[in-house]
Amino acid sequence: MSNDIKSDGERPCESRRHFLLAGATTAVLAGLPGVTSAMNMLVKEFPRQKVGQLSQLKDNQPIDFQFPTSSPTSTFVLVKLGEAAGGGVGRDKDVVAFSNLCTHMGGPLNGSYKSKHKALGPCPLHLTTFDLTRHGMVISGHATESLPQGRLEIDGDDIYVTGIMGLLYGHQNNPLAVTQL
Amino acid sequence: MSSKPLYMPPSSVPLPPTDAEVFTTACDYCIVACGYKVYRWPVGRDGTEAAGGNAFNMDYPTQTMTGAWVSSNQHNIVAHNGKPHNIAIVGDRDTKVVNVGGDHSIRGGTIAKKCYNPNTLTRDRLKYPQIRVGGKLHRIAWEDAIDIMAEVSKHVIETRGRSSWAMKMFSYNFWENTHALTKLAFRGVDTAAWAVHDQPTGHGPDTPGMSDAGIDNFSASYEDWSTADVLMMVGTDPFEAKTIIYNEWILNGIRNGMKVISVVPRKTQGVAYAEQNNGLYLEINPGTDVLLLNAMARIIVSKGWEDSEFVENWINNKTERDKEVFQADGFDDFKEWIMNYKYARLDIAAEKTGIPAEQIMKAAEMVAKPRADGQRYKTSFAIEKGLYWSNNYGNTAAITALGLICGAGNRPGQVISRFGGHQRGMMPGGRYPEQEAPEKFPGWRKQGIDVDRWVEQGRAGFVWVIGTTWIQAMTASRRLEERIRAQSSGHGDQPTKLDKQHIIDVYKKRSDNGGFMLVHQDVFPVEPIGTEIADLVLPASGWGEQDLTRANGERRIRLYSKFNDAPGESLADWDIAARFARAMGYDGFDWKDSNAVFEDAAFYNKGRRTSYVALVEYARLHGRRAHEVLRDYGTTGIQAPIRWEDGKLVGTARLHDSTLKTGTASGLTAIDPRWLRKFKTKTGRANLLKAVWETFGDYWEFMKPQGDELWVTSGRINEIWQSGYDDQIRRPYLMQRWPDNFLEIHPDDAKARGIESGDMVLVSHDKIPVEVGGYSNSEADRKLRGATPFRADRNAEQADEMVKVVDRGHSESRGIEARSMGNADITEPDELLSAFGAPDDSGTDADRRRRKREAGDAGQDIDDPLMKSIESGIGLRWEDVKPMTFTEMMKNGQVEMDSASFQGVAIVTENVKKGVMFTYFNTTTKNRAANSLCGRINDPISQRPRYKLARGLVKKIGESDYKHSFSQMSFKSRAI
Repeated sequence: MSNDIKSDGERPCESRRHFLLAGATTAVLAGLPGVTSAMNMLVKEFPRQKVGQLSQLKDNQPIDFQFPTSSPTSTFVLVKLGEAAGGGVGRDKDVVAFSNLCTHMGGPLNGSYKSKHKALGPCPLHLTTFDLTRHGMVISGHATESLPQGRLEIDGDDIYVTGIMGLLYGHQNNPLAVTQL
Repeated sequence: MSSKPLYMPPSSVPLPPTDAEVFTTACDYCIVACGYKVYRWPVGRDGTEAAGGNAFNMDYPTQTMTGAWVSSNQHNIVAHNGKPHNIAIVGDRDTKVVNVGGDHSIRGGTIAKKCYNPNTLTRDRLKYPQIRVGGKLHRIAWEDAIDIMAEVSKHVIETRGRSSWAMKMFSYNFWENTHALTKLAFRGVDTAAWAVHDQPTGHGPDTPGMSDAGIDNFSASYEDWSTADVLMMVGTDPFEAKTIIYNEWILNGIRNGMKVISVVPRKTQGVAYAEQNNGLYLEINPGTDVLLLNAMARIIVSKGWEDSEFVENWINNKTERDKEVFQADGFDDFKEWIMNYKYARLDIAAEKTGIPAEQIMKAAEMVAKPRADGQRYKTSFAIEKGLYWSNNYGNTAAITALGLICGAGNRPGQVISRFGGHQRGMMPGGRYPEQEAPEKFPGWRKQGIDVDRWVEQGRAGFVWVIGTTWIQAMTASRRLEERIRAQSSGHGDQPTKLDKQHIIDVYKKRSDNGGFMLVHQDVFPVEPIGTEIADLVLPASGWGEQDLTRANGERRIRLYSKFNDAPGESLADWDIAARFARAMGYDGFDWKDSNAVFEDAAFYNKGRRTSYVALVEYARLHGRRAHEVLRDYGTTGIQAPIRWEDGKLVGTARLHDSTLKTGTASGLTAIDPRWLRKFKTKTGRANLLKAVWETFGDYWEFMKPQGDELWVTSGRINEIWQSGYDDQIRRPYLMQRWPDNFLEIHPDDAKARGIESGDMVLVSHDKIPVEVGGYSNSEADRKLRGATPFRADRNAEQADEMVKVVDRGHSESRGIEARSMGNADITEPDELLSAFGAPDDSGTDADRRRRKREAGDAGQDIDDPLMKSIESGIGLRWEDVKPMTFTEMMKNGQVEMDSASFQGVAIVTENVKKGVMFTYFNTTTKNRAANSLCGRINDPISQRPRYKLARGLVKKIGESDYKHSFSQMSFKSRAI
């Protein structure tokens, strides 16, 4: 028997509700020093961020984007793997987004996508690799967390990122935390 | 298909506030022992994300490589003085040694999750002593548990002899614990039925070929793995489970131009990176190392690439014994031998190792060919269990000879050393009583008791198992488990009520009827020995619950601080040993805390490479506790042997380092100063050994896969430590990664058997050779292994001929250690030795022995004729060795065939050699242990096991739960 927790087939509006709940949590945390007011802006004015279009995405051609802020720790990659993945969206459930910062010591994974393995890495610092079909699980190496995964939703042809599962490297509070993909 | 991971990371992790308490410690897992800081603060008083508001004085989010990010797996809530406290355990960002800047592995990086927290999977920690009555475990008082053990032990020793009292224990779990336990076994009980967790006997060198050459197998400093020009690694992959040796030392070496030769049958990320950066990957068939190494040595000497200056200065050129198998009469004799020895031929090596001849040539060139201007490259050699747990004596002798002719062994960046497995946590409390061990080899050599066979043969009346699974470890022979069960939980004499005297009487009766009382002591329940079999289960405290000490793979000693409460009534292993010893009436167990054990142990450890007696003397002079002096050294610690020079404590970076500069001794260093600069032989020169194939080749041919069989070999992976006893099955993130055992198989082999990644497979064999018998008074045993008294202690019977030959006075005449093996004394001045008022290499052997006796060399295995006679190959003749080869054992009826199987989840990958399957070496799994497929036929010289050699048939038995899951396990390549 599979251990997967099956999707309940939630609709985008339900996703939005989850997101807003998560956003509310973030707004509370934003009262702490160090959480910028830009976060509040995001929650209020940018409930979702468009990161691409399905029609434009080609298999195994990753696109980097910033999310949720412009800070160096907010770098993500969007990629159509060409095979189904945990948390994948689109017709083939193969479109995923992940943080580009290694959860070992913050090494940059930009440009390290390996199409043959559907993996990010090896990290240029200490060679950790991550499985993008398995929610960013460590394949081999030293990171103590999976790569944070962007929660995606589709609206027509547009791909939006609406939240993050997992703590971004460098952060102690997760901006836009979600517990489901 | 959507899914979510099994382990859901929390969305925030609290930061330690500025006033959090900080403790230094080192990781509990692999040999490297990275330095960590533990931050502890009461729940509800978290730090804030602005610099000035947290203990790291850092603004969050932090940037790359600050070492100040706390991931969710680095946080936990533990009890301190009974109150909940947050802890964050992170690599020490301030450290300049080992894990520079706070680098860490996935194991150590998640170590916070191993701490006891009843809201996590650690809730099943053992908390109280429990006794099995009516098949179930019931809590009892410590006092009653100790009384029962002592009363039964006294009866067993009285009626069946001291060696009927057996102990099987971890060798690594902190010095205070191992010292107390071995002091109890050797100086208290005086039993020879004692073995460590990973060997059937458990004393003597792990790498006897290195010892016989005069090389300490932990002589290197970690910087040597960076500073060589060429590093040859055989039978080990430091990327997997010696992580930081790779990350911080080898990787930086490669980035500075060091070339790495990896000799393993499996490629990982670390091997792949080395290969991509001018390195060489030699994909070897299991067990064939000696052929590769001999072939390389032959190429080198035939081309004249040897380091002739080093050979001239540092190699012994004479041996005294005729018909000697192993030791060469100097380099010229070695050269003549290897040029004519069949098993040093390139064509034979290429055929049996499966490595193309041109790659062997290339490897020889890399390690030894001088530059055009005649200058030599610096070459270092690193080994581990793939090498020494297949052909123990031969492989370790061969790699050492190869290293020595390349000029390695006694200079920075030019070393021959182990990387290591577990940390160096053995601190002997006495000498193994060799005289008590009743068995001997044909010829004359004594053999330590093989505790597995000893117990199987019904010779034990009381067995205490500490911190090991035993049944899944070792060669996991089905016979061992069956015999253990039959004599304990399956024995007819079982207590029926929770009455102390009744229980004592039943166990005494069980011993009288040929069974034994079994005690299991650990931190968690262990299947099946603790959960199903043991009569008494004792709860031990663990890492972070006591101040404890040990050394890492460069002999670096650190204090591992206590920072949380031990759960329930669990006690430190040393404390349990001491309580039992006092109940037995033994003296010398009145320690009041772990520091007292540490200080006491220093004086037993004087002559060993981890000598720290200088630290203790220094602490006493300054009116301090030794643990507190060590605490001042934090995560940096100090490298043993610790010297006391010019008024300061000084660490020793490497052993037998000819470049070492020492100061003026201020106090007792208490290690033979010759070892600091010279090799560990009489002359200070190294011995070149001839590694022969014949002591092993017959076994290899028998174990070689036939027909549809494939090799089954095993090793470590980063994410799991040892049997996973407290990490893999209780840390959710690691459980998600590895929910079950795995089996890597080459795509061609998989395809031929219809196997895909994610399939559950069964690996089996029905012809596994297992050494049986011994320890009886049967005629066959007497003929093969000498007289075996019914009572296993020396007072019971007259000393026989066997005892005479291993007595000190007798063994000297064997002439194992030649009085003069070199042409001339090495004349370099040695300031340190002069400071002791003794010229180096002067005096007679008797003088030196007297000096050693005065130095109190407890537990020391060097320069000791008795130990040499047991463990060394030097001085052996072929007639001595031959009867213990596999062929002769088969002829003599000492071998039976067993069958076994294990299961795993298939991972189809080109990273493993075609014809070879790779699995985890010791997962505790309901599907049995992979090493049950290994033969139980030990090395004929060293009696070390051959865990890395097995073969089996593999077949798909269905799909695993993980084949179509996105939540658990990954089947991706580990060498991208």
